[in-house]
This record gives sequence, C-alpha cells and structure tokens, in this order.
Amino acid sequence: MHFFPLLKFKVYGNSMRPSYKNGEQVLALHFFKNLKINDVVVLKNPHKNVKEKYIIKRIAKVSKEKYFVLGDNSRESTDSRAFGWIEKKDIAGKVVYSL
Amino acid sequence: MKRLLIFASKFLPTQSVYAHCDVPCGIYDPKPAQIAAATVVKMVSLIDELPKENTSVSDRNKFVRCVLTKEEHARKCKEELFILWADYFKPEHLKMFPSLHEKFWSAVKLCSQNKQNVDAKLASDLVKAVDEIADMFAQSKAAK
Repeated sequence: MHFFPLLKFKVYGNSMRPSYKNGEQVLALHFFKNLKINDVVVLKNPHKNVKEKYIIKRIAKVSKEKYFVLGDNSRESTDSRAFGWIEKKDIAGKVVYSL
Repeated sequence: MKRLLIFASKFLPTQSVYAHCDVPCGIYDPKPAQIAAATVVKMVSLIDELPKENTSVSDRNKFVRCVLTKEEHARKCKEELFILWADYFKPEHLKMFPSLHEKFWSAVKLCSQNKQNVDAKLASDLVKAVDEIADMFAQSKAAK
C-alpha cells in the first residue's frame, strides 16, 4: 500500500470536528516534504495492540523533526497531550483533499 | 488537479482512520487527568501568593486568570476521570479493585470541591486521588 503515493481514508470519530466529520473520506499523500503547523496528517496509532491502525490529527507544533499533533475538537481527542511528540516516520500521509 | 485526485481516488481502497475518541479504540490514559490535577495545585499556589490587600489591577487580572484556569482544569480533570471510569474500567476490574467506584466518586467530588474553593489541602488531595487511579490503571494494564 505504501508504494502508492495516494491513500484514501474514511474518518471514524469526532476528534477532528468540525474540519472532518465522522464518515467523511479524505485523500492523503504518502510522499510529502515539509510538514508545517496546521497540516492535517494521518499517523500510525502510537498505542500498539489496538485494531485501529491509523489516527488523524492536526500538527500544532514542530520542533527538530518532531511533531505535536492535536485534534480540532480538543474535548474529544486523544492526541499529543496524551501520547507526546511524534516522529516523521510515524506519519503515514499528509491529508490533501476531502472527498 | 482536483478532478484528477477525485478520479484516482475511485480506484483506491478505503482504509479506516480514527479520530478518537468516540469510537471504542481502546486509547485511554490517566495522564491528562494527572496534568489537570497538577495544574489545579499550581493555580491554588499562585492565588495564595497574590497580595491580599492593596491589590493592583495586574494582581486582580492574575487572580481572575488563575481562578479561570483552576476552574477549567478541575472540569477537565473530572471529564477525564469520567472517561476512564465509564469507558475504560469494566465490571471485571472490580474484582481487582473492590474500592474502584469509591475512589472515582471521591476523585470527581474533589474536582468539584476544588472549583468551589481555593484550598491547598483539597488540591493536594485531588492529585493523590488521581495518582491512585493512575496506579490502578497501570496495574490493570500490567495484568492484561
């Protein structure tokens, strides 16, 4: 899958409301260059051993190739406030389009 | 470009991406509650340090900001505790922690008491109560 540059995801949950609603589909680029604040990314779930492989969040801070990600709906989001900074290798794609 | 993306997407398999946390994704952590409780302690300490008489506009501004932050983090702590209590812990955990409900009940009560008061003892009790819950959480994870 990761050899293809474009990935399609269906969003489940409410942590990215109002930007991305439950059931909405998004396209993400697997190959991307500079990530910046406000970019929305699909990342590997930092919590292993759960069936949910990927989560979607927005980059809030960038420091030394590490990223602090947050859900837009902070009251219903588990994000870097809980699991800390993430690395670029953990990012599966940069969201470029909402279908 | 937009049309090309839409066209290409028709041939792509759809994967699931989770915008936690209204789905049962299993992501739970007591850390946000612990941080919120620690913030309440800090705000109580900052409020106590403010002059009680002849206060300046700046002092009053800081007082209001500290009270607002204390209120917000006590609320957040309560909310995080409710998530752990209702969504993470299951009836089977009661065998392991018979006082589970009592501990949560006391902790959420302390959140409210910390909203109502500026009391270092109550704030410190909240931190202890949340830490005990975090300890139960860690034990339950280790037992899996």
